Amino acid sequence: MEILRVENLSFKYPTGKAPTLKELSFSVNEGEFVVLCGATGSGKSTLLRLLKRELAPLGEKSGSVCYGGRSLEQLDARTAASEIGFVMQRPEQQIAADKVWHELALGLENLGESQDVIRRRCAEMAGYFGIAPWFDRETSKLSGGQKQLLNLAAVMAMNPRVLILDEPTAQLDPIAASDFIGTLLKINRELSLTVIIAEHRLEELIPVCDRLIALDCGEIVADAPPREALPLLASRPALLRMMPAASRLSMALGLETKGEVPLTVREGKRMIEEHYTNKVRSLPAKTPVAPEVNALEFRDVWFRYSQKGEDILRGTSFHVKQGEFFCILGANGSGKTTALGAVAAINRIFSGKIKIFGKQLKDYKNGTLYQSCLAWLPQDPQTLFLRNTLREELKGAEAEAAMLGLDLVKYADTHPYDLSGGEQQLAALARVLSTKPKLLLLDEPTKGLDAASRERITDILRRLRDGGMTILAVTHDAEFAADAADRCALFFRGEIVSTGTPREFFAANSFYTTAANRMTRGHYDGIVTLPEAVEICRLNGEAKA
Amino acid sequence: MKTIADFNPIVQTLYFLSAALCSMLGMNPVMIVISLVGALLLYILRAEDEKPTGHLFTLLLFAVTALINPLFYHNGATVLLVINNNPITLEATLYGITAGAMIIAVLYHFRSFSKIMTSDRLMYVFGKLSGKFALTLSMTLRYIPLFITQMERVRAAQRTTGQYKDGSIADTVKSDLRVFSVMITWALENGIVTADSMEARGYGTGKRTSFALWRMRRRDVIFLLLILLLVGLQLPALLSGALTFTFYPNIRSLPTSPAAILAYISYGALVLTPSAIECIERAKWKYFVSKI
Repeated sequence: MEILRVENLSFKYPTGKAPTLKELSFSVNEGEFVVLCGATGSGKSTLLRLLKRELAPLGEKSGSVCYGGRSLEQLDARTAASEIGFVMQRPEQQIAADKVWHELALGLENLGESQDVIRRRCAEMAGYFGIAPWFDRETSKLSGGQKQLLNLAAVMAMNPRVLILDEPTAQLDPIAASDFIGTLLKINRELSLTVIIAEHRLEELIPVCDRLIALDCGEIVADAPPREALPLLASRPALLRMMPAASRLSMALGLETKGEVPLTVREGKRMIEEHYTNKVRSLPAKTPVAPEVNALEFRDVWFRYSQKGEDILRGTSFHVKQGEFFCILGANGSGKTTALGAVAAINRIFSGKIKIFGKQLKDYKNGTLYQSCLAWLPQDPQTLFLRNTLREELKGAEAEAAMLGLDLVKYADTHPYDLSGGEQQLAALARVLSTKPKLLLLDEPTKGLDAASRERITDILRRLRDGGMTILAVTHDAEFAADAADRCALFFRGEIVSTGTPREFFAANSFYTTAANRMTRGHYDGIVTLPEAVEICRLNGEAKA
Repeated sequence: MKTIADFNPIVQTLYFLSAALCSMLGMNPVMIVISLVGALLLYILRAEDEKPTGHLFTLLLFAVTALINPLFYHNGATVLLVINNNPITLEATLYGITAGAMIIAVLYHFRSFSKIMTSDRLMYVFGKLSGKFALTLSMTLRYIPLFITQMERVRAAQRTTGQYKDGSIADTVKSDLRVFSVMITWALENGIVTADSMEARGYGTGKRTSFALWRMRRRDVIFLLLILLLVGLQLPALLSGALTFTFYPNIRSLPTSPAAILAYISYGALVLTPSAIECIERAKWKYFVSKI
């Protein structure tokens, strides 16, 4: 049964020159799980907001959106608010109440439900979503994943029939993101709830969705089940980039014309093994040319935030060579961000030694550390911005902005907060690079970025490294580390437990590794990135059936 | 266990307000002694883990109040001794002791109260007064930690970009101002998201209700009625001034009119009830455990 119908929907922002959405038409059936994909600026957020009356942006709109056979405008306020649920990107800012139970009750309070109804519904939500253990907690004390789960539960408490989500996992770490998608799938399957989700990270969503709608420059370029939709995107690299690794591999090898559209690692692995021989098992190793001089030495460092707290760094030791791109991977709470803060002299260490370019950290006096020596790009680029326009913000950093390809003319008078996530990251990077650092510290540089921005940042960082800069990055993103790093290290409980070149590192890991490595494991050795997988498949040639 | 901490927050608020207020009217030593005994008993029963040094501050406060009065006020007919030509009178001394006792009695009532009333309980009480106020309070309490965490992050990030140079107070103040001003922008920017999320969940679609975790159970109603009855029995004495005790110029005998006696008994019953409930519940628990 059709629940949502969009007909000839066009939309133009008052300040925009071209329409953001052009004549879109599609319909969604009850119980469908629809993934909406598109690069930043393709209009997917605008489309999702137009489906939720309360959040619809102002501008010129034509065409119609119908819910359950009636136009969205004709719905009464209660139905519109409760039956169409909306979850946004940033978990923190959607939460309005101070206590978890109050947040769950908020929507029902708004609808004027009675105490007994609210009590029952809160109890149901707490039970179903596993919130009961932290039901009495303060919302500010929750982890990112818990916050987003609470946002979902708070919307679900209102009994929606359609759930719309705008990049809900962009700010979460991979484990929390995959838990969140699991929960979404559960409510879709168990409650037959219609789900429409826009997301950058599609590795896990594409295999489970019923339908993929791809948006490019405000137009629908594909609207079909994923296996049929993917071949339609072959000529659109911007969209292709965000697809699962297995699908990208098949399309890079031209196998989609033979009807091979794998979506998961399992299908990708089977495809490689069926179509390619493994006479050549590995690619020649690249020999690192980095000089053996240490840019950073981190020796036996102990740190805790408060006297009675737990040790976060427990005798951590590692070193980064000059001109090297070093990536630290690890789960949330393993202490990797803390270690980065210790290098940046934001966290004062309790014992141990940190040497930067051969000089002890404490011997850098009066901020000399931050002048032509070390720069730190925090996880949230917004924390770096102090001015009201980009031009003022990047005063003195124009050369860096130009080098990063940031359009300073177009965005001169834009508030830094109004830039897209990728552009904010670039602006922040330009700002920190203007101090001409020799050592660059990055905290989750790919967090919340779409595939295109992610690739752009990776390229830029590689170029900076090639120009002689030493880079130390902390990340959850295994694909990014495999693509960019010279050496990777795994952080666990405040210690480094393994180090190596991406090839050694990921090939030795069984779980914490890239999709390309998982797909080629057993068939080839030491393949960690997608281009490497493509190369070795081509090298071996197709098996004769 | 069903102790005073488990009652409905409205009943709790009413109890502590009446227990504190009734002893403050009339400066009657009997009422104040009853109040102090009741408050101390409940506080000690509930705060088992607190060290004796926790009471040091209140003792000091009592001593200061009791001493200051006779040293600065020289009313009263009975002179005990003369210091620097200033007479220290018996009446002023007794007044000081009574006032000191009253202050610490009220203090102990409120110390128990503040231990029991967590922020969400307090909100429930305010919510009963005004739903809008409760929502605003909840949203504010939510926003404060969010704001502080972000400000710490901004300060840390700014330290690495040349703000906050070591040792210069002027520079620290300047940097703090800059950070604070950008935080206002940040707060407004994020407020929009919160507002969107509220609106998406139907804020403003009609009359709101205010949900709370607490219900009025039977025992809450019984305790509420008991409080009202016991306060009601004191009212004639409190309002007619039958409890008023005069210190100056001469101490008169304690008020012993029937109304005053009734007030002593009912006030005593009021402030001892929570401690009694506490003791009964503990005895019951011990009995249950011994049966297992």
